[in-house]
Amino acid sequence: MSHRYRATRSDAHDSDFKHRSSGPSRWSHCRKRGIDGSLRSHSDEDGDDGHSDSRNSSFTTPESAAPVSRCGRQSDWGSQVEDEEMRQDVHRDMQRYRRRILGSEVNQRERKTSSGSSGSCDSREGENMETDEAVLMRRQKQISYGKNTLAYDRYIKEVPKYLRQPGVHPKTPNKFRKYSRRSWDQQIKLWRVKLHAWDPPAGCSQEHTLSDNIEELDLEDIVDIELDFPSLADSQNAPSSLLVHSSATENEDCSATPVKVKKTEDPDVAKGL
Amino acid sequence: MENCSEDYRIQSFDVDTQKLLKTALKDPSSVNLEKVSNILVDQSLKDPLFSKEAGRICYTIVQAEAKQDNGTVFRRHLLNRLQQEFKEREETRKRSLQGWVCYVTFICNIFDYLKVNNMPMVALVLPVYDCLMRLAQPDALLNEEEVDCLVLQLHRIGEQLEKVNSQRMDELFFLLRDGFLLQEGLTSMARLLLLEVLEFRAGGWMLSSTAHKYYYSEIAD
Repeated sequence: MSHRYRATRSDAHDSDFKHRSSGPSRWSHCRKRGIDGSLRSHSDEDGDDGHSDSRNSSFTTPESAAPVSRCGRQSDWGSQVEDEEMRQDVHRDMQRYRRRILGSEVNQRERKTSSGSSGSCDSREGENMETDEAVLMRRQKQISYGKNTLAYDRYIKEVPKYLRQPGVHPKTPNKFRKYSRRSWDQQIKLWRVKLHAWDPPAGCSQEHTLSDNIEELDLEDIVDIELDFPSLADSQNAPSSLLVHSSATENEDCSATPVKVKKTEDPDVAKGL
Repeated sequence: MENCSEDYRIQSFDVDTQKLLKTALKDPSSVNLEKVSNILVDQSLKDPLFSKEAGRICYTIVQAEAKQDNGTVFRRHLLNRLQQEFKEREETRKRSLQGWVCYVTFICNIFDYLKVNNMPMVALVLPVYDCLMRLAQPDALLNEEEVDCLVLQLHRIGEQLEKVNSQRMDELFFLLRDGFLLQEGLTSMARLLLLEVLEFRAGGWMLSSTAHKYYYSEIAD
């Protein structure tokens, strides 16, 4: 673990996550892809591909201080096309998400009138949607980094979608909801910490797990536009200071797992951070 | 069935390379895709026939990789290598006219085959225009080989190019028109090709059946 950056940053625990500066670390050894996007093999980990000392640029979550998207600065054609593709995908996802919100807003209203519960912020979902392209692309990149892990492959293979429980299993943060930068980064961080519970056991053949899991990726998981209304799962992922949805507990299908209990669930993971 | 033309083109490589390419088409993540992209570009730059068809092979590998693990490694290496060659295009042209014509054919073929969500790759639009504009310069119009390449590319991708950037297309056709009307020293074949492509675009990227008959019966004779 590198502590090099701790001195320069006040939120030390945060920097530990983002600024891994050297060598294969707990955070990088499970990556599916290397610096150039190629699938990594064991030899990559030994650093004989010459990337070992420049690894930090691709193996950390990108974080640009400037409001300008870092995508604009890429000058090689490969990256340009990738950014173009991601931009289009983000816009497509946005349209789909809008449609799903519109569809379910009707349902929500119906449910409300029948159950007689008081209004919540649910119906404002559409207005609160994040539409800033730069923000969405930055978030999508962070999500992609998280999904580019063996742990994620193992997770989606071992826990089918219908078995995933809010608060217990990692849930990809919803990039279309308005969050502060800090809140979003925290959600990503917690998501990734949780994903590490599915890290492959040390010493086991990564090649094997990888090829097994590739088949299991379904489009749903890759695109992953979850339509999540304020629920406990969300609240737990967000830092407590940002719990604006006081009505979250209204959500019927939430087994109310207290926040604190959840946090102590994976002591190993927390310590390993 | 689908692989017929690919198999045919792949025959020109040595056995090991053939094996590598075939694996790349079926199981891309198991091979070094940077190496594969370099092999395909190298071959395209020296084999005029291959440069016309390599786009199809590249397309198949890109599709296979995306399907297999959502990867874009091959495309990235391919495009970056194309970019590297683009930077050296003037030297390439001086060194070998055929190599230059092959390069233009190949990049246009890639532009035609590889799409992002069914749209042309924006990153390639201006470079492709730059190549075609170079072919339309007075010194290039004197080479039938270059005129032939230019006209062929415009037949294939002219319409798509104009849709994404019509201003550049206008500029290109000003050059072609001036070349056709004013430039001395053009061969009659070059003039004929230019006249045809001018008419082709004027007809909305189509040749009327009478025009088609006119141009192609003349050439056949």
